[in-house]
Amino acid sequence: MKRAFAPLLVLPLVVFIVVFLLYPLAYLAANSLVAGGGVLEGRTRAVGALTAGQWWAGLTLENYVKVLTDRYFVESLLHSVMLSLGVAIGSVLLCLAPAWVLVRAEFPGKRLFRAILTVPMAFSGVIVGFMAVIMLGRWGVVPAFLHWLTGEAYLSMVAYTLSGLVVAYIYFEIPRATLTLEAAIRKFDFELDAAARSLGATLGQRFWYVLVPLLLPAIISTVALAFAVSMGSFGVALIIAKKFNLLPVDIFLEITGYANFEFASALCVVMLVITLATNLYLRRLGERLYVFRQR
Amino acid sequence: MRTLLPVLALALLGLVQTAEATHFDAKAQAEFRAALEEAKKAEGNRLIGYDHQPNYANWGGVQKFFTDKYGVIWPPDMKSSVTAMAALIAEQPKPQASVVYYNAAIGVQAAERGLHEPYKPKGWELIPPEHKDPDGRWFNIHYGTIAFVVNTKALEQTKVPVPKCWSDLVKPEYRNLVAYDDPTVQGTAFDAIFTALWIHGGSYDNFAPGLEYLKKLHPNIISYNKETSYNPSLRGEIPIWIHADGSGYKMKYHDGGPIEVVIPCEGTTAFPLNVALVRNAPTPRLAKLALDWLNTEEAQRIFAEAFFRPIHPGALTPEIEAKMKPLYGSYDKIKSYDLAKKVKMVDAFKKAWVEQVRRSR
Repeated sequence: MKRAFAPLLVLPLVVFIVVFLLYPLAYLAANSLVAGGGVLEGRTRAVGALTAGQWWAGLTLENYVKVLTDRYFVESLLHSVMLSLGVAIGSVLLCLAPAWVLVRAEFPGKRLFRAILTVPMAFSGVIVGFMAVIMLGRWGVVPAFLHWLTGEAYLSMVAYTLSGLVVAYIYFEIPRATLTLEAAIRKFDFELDAAARSLGATLGQRFWYVLVPLLLPAIISTVALAFAVSMGSFGVALIIAKKFNLLPVDIFLEITGYANFEFASALCVVMLVITLATNLYLRRLGERLYVFRQR
Repeated sequence: MRTLLPVLALALLGLVQTAEATHFDAKAQAEFRAALEEAKKAEGNRLIGYDHQPNYANWGGVQKFFTDKYGVIWPPDMKSSVTAMAALIAEQPKPQASVVYYNAAIGVQAAERGLHEPYKPKGWELIPPEHKDPDGRWFNIHYGTIAFVVNTKALEQTKVPVPKCWSDLVKPEYRNLVAYDDPTVQGTAFDAIFTALWIHGGSYDNFAPGLEYLKKLHPNIISYNKETSYNPSLRGEIPIWIHADGSGYKMKYHDGGPIEVVIPCEGTTAFPLNVALVRNAPTPRLAKLALDWLNTEEAQRIFAEAFFRPIHPGALTPEIEAKMKPLYGSYDKIKSYDLAKKVKMVDAFKKAWVEQVRRSR
């Protein structure tokens, strides 16, 4: 009886995933395989307007050909991947020490510190985008202050550049990176560190030869998580990406601006495949390293 | 240019003189209320519409008034004209909205795509012919004028004078001080680029003069925002916003912002905004009554409080009109065009703008 009970508990999640993840993904994939066009080409179609027969007769790869050959979209793709990778690595570097402190150190206000670190998670991307504009926009808080200080509005307009995007993206990666790293460090066997110390290892040696190798799988999986979140993040880019085209904003424009749902679906599928592939690769890399260290 | 039908401009000027007997008198109001109570019983007291941005043309005030006076909840919707149309395309045949508001050029496109149900509201005969579709697929309720919405405090900080002309905006000293919203998303922003085309001698099929100007303007642009720039403009993040004059006056008089409106010296264009009944509307009776009401002076007067000129001239009070004074330039500079021909060029011009302006480096 007990055995029969377990699958029953899993069932709700399975149903949920099928209905809200697998079905939409299958729909997206199917939709990406018929010719689009949208408003600007004068070819629009309601979502779900095709019958199965019409869909079968209209199968084509032209949306994918366009995504992978059009200079503009290839550029968007590269921008998105590079920005997300940079942000993922940057946020891990930034959050590793604080995560360590959260596990090892005891200090007054520690709970508050942790709570503050998780605040950015509560904000949607759009709000983070507005924050970037208010802080680093044309006449943002920072440039206005520097103008008052030096007579020159340094850092003005940074919000609209690649640097602004990186700052804003790292901002909302902070809680995820800190919390994941903290959990990993918590599992870290500190007796190994103590052993290294008693054998006379310096601080640097302990960091590079004990800590980093043991934590590397966790670090890599945090990078993978941050990468996936950044790839899909859209609110920030919607508000501040001016000349720097990114895939999620292109998808938004294809849907809401041009009603080109078929082409937008193809963009989504390509983005999904890249995110999934990168994630799988990074996680396998992490596992392999872990196995290697265990030997 | 010479071949244009000056219908729109003539009508807009003519409207100011023609007096209209109000059709929404006490008796009509009583009937309206009775019909509304019936509709509420059948459909509930919630009306969903698309493109009702609270800061645009006083939609916020209109919805509050309608809820307070008639007991129908009519929530705001942050879609723009283009995104509203895209949503209706995606949602047919089961849309979520029952009424929709657009920039007229986009609204006519949507009508031609079969997204609307023909409906002629009460007082149809009082709408001038150029402000309604003969088949009843849409009618205009007011219009705006493309202007420079200038945050004078922001310009003082950077020590640059208030621009008077389109030719000023492309000067190097206005670098990173100008913005218009993304015209592939926002209807008013389409009229901003359309006006740039029109003023520089472009036509329905010759986009080159407009694109040339917009390419020159590109380095001075802060951002092509996909959401409305009302707040960034009011705050001074965007010192010069090419947008509807009414948005500028609203910031100046309602929000107390350091804002002035400039009608550019070379001229500008006016653009109507229309409403329609959505095909397969979930609450058609409420929607029809709301459209009846939108065609009254009562409704259009509330819109006019945000300085959009109503189609029914009696809805514009002298006090409001007196406030609609640009710092520079004059409303005599409004140039006319043929809406039907403009509608046909919308997509091609947007496409050219995307390829040659937004994607340029």
